[in-house]
Amino acid sequence: MFWHCLKYELLTSIRAKDLIIWLMIFPIALGTLFKIAFGSVYETQTKFSTVKTAVVETTPDPVLHQVLDSIGEQEDAFMSVKYVDEDEAMDLLKNEKVEGIIFADGELSLTVHYKGMNSTILTSFVENYNSQRKIIMEAAKNDPASLNDVTAALSAEVNTCREVPLTDGNTDNLIQYFYNLIAMVAMFGSLTGLHITINNQANLSAVGSRNNCSPAPKSVSILAALTGSYIVQGFCMALCVTYLRFVLKIDFGSRLPLVYAAALLGGIAGVSMGFFVGSLNRMKIEAKTSILMSVSMICCFLSGLMVGNMKGVIIKKAPWFNHVNPAALVSDSFYCLNIYSDYRRFMEKIISMAVISVIFVALGIVVSRRKKYESL
Amino acid sequence: MKVFDTFMKVLKTKLFSVMIYVVVFLAISIPMAKNGSAEKKFEKSSLNICVFDNDDTPESHALVEFIGKENEIIPEYTNEDDILDLLYYESVDFALIIDKGYSEKLASGETSDIFRYYKVHDSYSTVYVRQLLDRYVNGVQAYMAGGMELSEAIDHSAEAMSQEVEVSMADFTGKSGNSDFPTSFGAYFRYMPYIMLSTVISALCIVLKAMNRKDIRYRTNCSSMRPNSFTMQIFAGSAVFVLGLWLILMGAGIVMYGGIFRGRVWGAVLNSFLFIIISAAIAVFAANFSPSNTVVNLITQVVSLGMSFLCGIFVPLGMLGSNIEKAARFLPAYWYVKANEMLCGNQAYDAGKVAMCMLVEAGFAVALIMITLVLNHLKFSKASESVAVPVQA
Repeated sequence: MFWHCLKYELLTSIRAKDLIIWLMIFPIALGTLFKIAFGSVYETQTKFSTVKTAVVETTPDPVLHQVLDSIGEQEDAFMSVKYVDEDEAMDLLKNEKVEGIIFADGELSLTVHYKGMNSTILTSFVENYNSQRKIIMEAAKNDPASLNDVTAALSAEVNTCREVPLTDGNTDNLIQYFYNLIAMVAMFGSLTGLHITINNQANLSAVGSRNNCSPAPKSVSILAALTGSYIVQGFCMALCVTYLRFVLKIDFGSRLPLVYAAALLGGIAGVSMGFFVGSLNRMKIEAKTSILMSVSMICCFLSGLMVGNMKGVIIKKAPWFNHVNPAALVSDSFYCLNIYSDYRRFMEKIISMAVISVIFVALGIVVSRRKKYESL
Repeated sequence: MKVFDTFMKVLKTKLFSVMIYVVVFLAISIPMAKNGSAEKKFEKSSLNICVFDNDDTPESHALVEFIGKENEIIPEYTNEDDILDLLYYESVDFALIIDKGYSEKLASGETSDIFRYYKVHDSYSTVYVRQLLDRYVNGVQAYMAGGMELSEAIDHSAEAMSQEVEVSMADFTGKSGNSDFPTSFGAYFRYMPYIMLSTVISALCIVLKAMNRKDIRYRTNCSSMRPNSFTMQIFAGSAVFVLGLWLILMGAGIVMYGGIFRGRVWGAVLNSFLFIIISAAIAVFAANFSPSNTVVNLITQVVSLGMSFLCGIFVPLGMLGSNIEKAARFLPAYWYVKANEMLCGNQAYDAGKVAMCMLVEAGFAVALIMITLVLNHLKFSKASESVAVPVQA
């Protein structure tokens, strides 16, 4: 009986073409848009690149020239300069060809267009120049004999910081939008899960009424429907990962089979959630769909689909939520595979997803069983 | 008003999810709009820095105090995984380790590798903090070279580095200034298209689809109701929903703004009105293809998220490459965002350009409505031919 029900569940799913096709088209369309939008953002924005600056000398300042030239000669120079007059400098700033203008009139002052990290770096340079000037002038005033030592100490090239790399993985944090896209496809699996209950509740569809009259045990028909939905959703998840990895060339790291496994489990969690919400009470299909769509989108929002650093905010404010939010669990599992060399955290996420799925299915079955209808 | 009543009855089933979207949007927008000021005054970016002070000496405390003057010191996260997560998601900008022996090394003039930091990527923040630490140590060494004791040198170095620098913000936003429309409030209008598209398409499309279901439409067509009356009642129902939603968003905006809008905010109000018309036009257009309810939900996500990412709603336009910007011009949200950026002063204000953006938006709305009318005409004229019953002779 189980295999018979499963066969017809799969056939029904395949014939409900609009949903299946959209579940396939959806990640392909959005994934492509993401790829187009974020193609070069990490290289141009997150990763550090030289800050372009205009310099306007009201009074000639050979020391400043010397300092700026020595910075320019460094291999990873943090700023590059262009000496121009005030009008040209303002033009360059307005057209965003430079990030700021340094005015040299004895002391340095700065004009910027936007607040931000680039402006802060330029401010830091100007502060440094002015403070060094102050230190030298103090030394010249208090102890002229020590002036050479002070100047030498100030101009000594120091490298106070040594880096401790935390990961060998891909640190481009824009990739998390793709993780969250897969998480959203998994959450939309809840719509597939909802169809199980639509087809098994007599008050929701004609097929549901017929199923309730049939001699097949409810447990068997529901388990077959769940298995069928898992297979269909699993296929959609696998297609999504394949498209992102092999067509859009998204770097998921070197453990691709586990990426597929996590995506499949995410799909199962999504379907299970849909099954549970679908089994709840005797609400109309529209109300259940609304609940599922709203919950899915809120989970995806809190997982960082719309605002990139949302997960960091959740880690600070309510870290427990990332352990129960199915969308965060799915995207975190890819993140762990990419960033961590061991499997401890990945396994935590996988186990959490499995536990959530089991809880949803168990609750769904408890709610669905022994449901009787006075008349059909 | 039978059609109008039925329209509202079907709409009621979708109001729950519409309200969830609106409530979540407002809950997120309020703190965003409240933060920040309208003043065009430069402030350095304050970074979130996590410090592991393993030295725990007066010298290391002085350093932490110096860093904390212009940055926020985050409490120690002992778990390395948490640090990695926070650095990856940029909730912590720099994680500094002051190793044991820092004060002795500083006193002996040793400057190489006296700090360590956890690295995830080479960001602007990393470069900035490394520079800051190099300068601090340089300053201490210079004062010590001038004959000062270590503690005295530390105080003087911190003081020399804390002197204010004159930084001015160039204002290219127009003669009248922009104090009426702070950029923080501009963010409220910037995110609005996502909510408009999500709610209007998902709700209106499903209601219109239900009203245009073949059997219902044919029944209405053969009733005594005039087609014009049917169309007008559908239009009235849609208008009530769309205007109601827009008024809720504007009302919430007035509360956040702290009174009636002033100055250029009215431009943003007009801009948002045009965009909600576009959202409605997209919904009417999509409803013509009679997608299932589930597919409507997926279409809604593709259109709203796609447009939001491509047109600078979620990710600022400046971050997207110039080619993306060229492609985004074919989408109405791009013109909405561009007008909003000029109005709130993120881009140089030009009244002519703002008007042009709004005209393009209006053009999109008109074009969508025209295409929908043509499709509608073709669909129902064909349908009436196919169901016409031949009269028996």
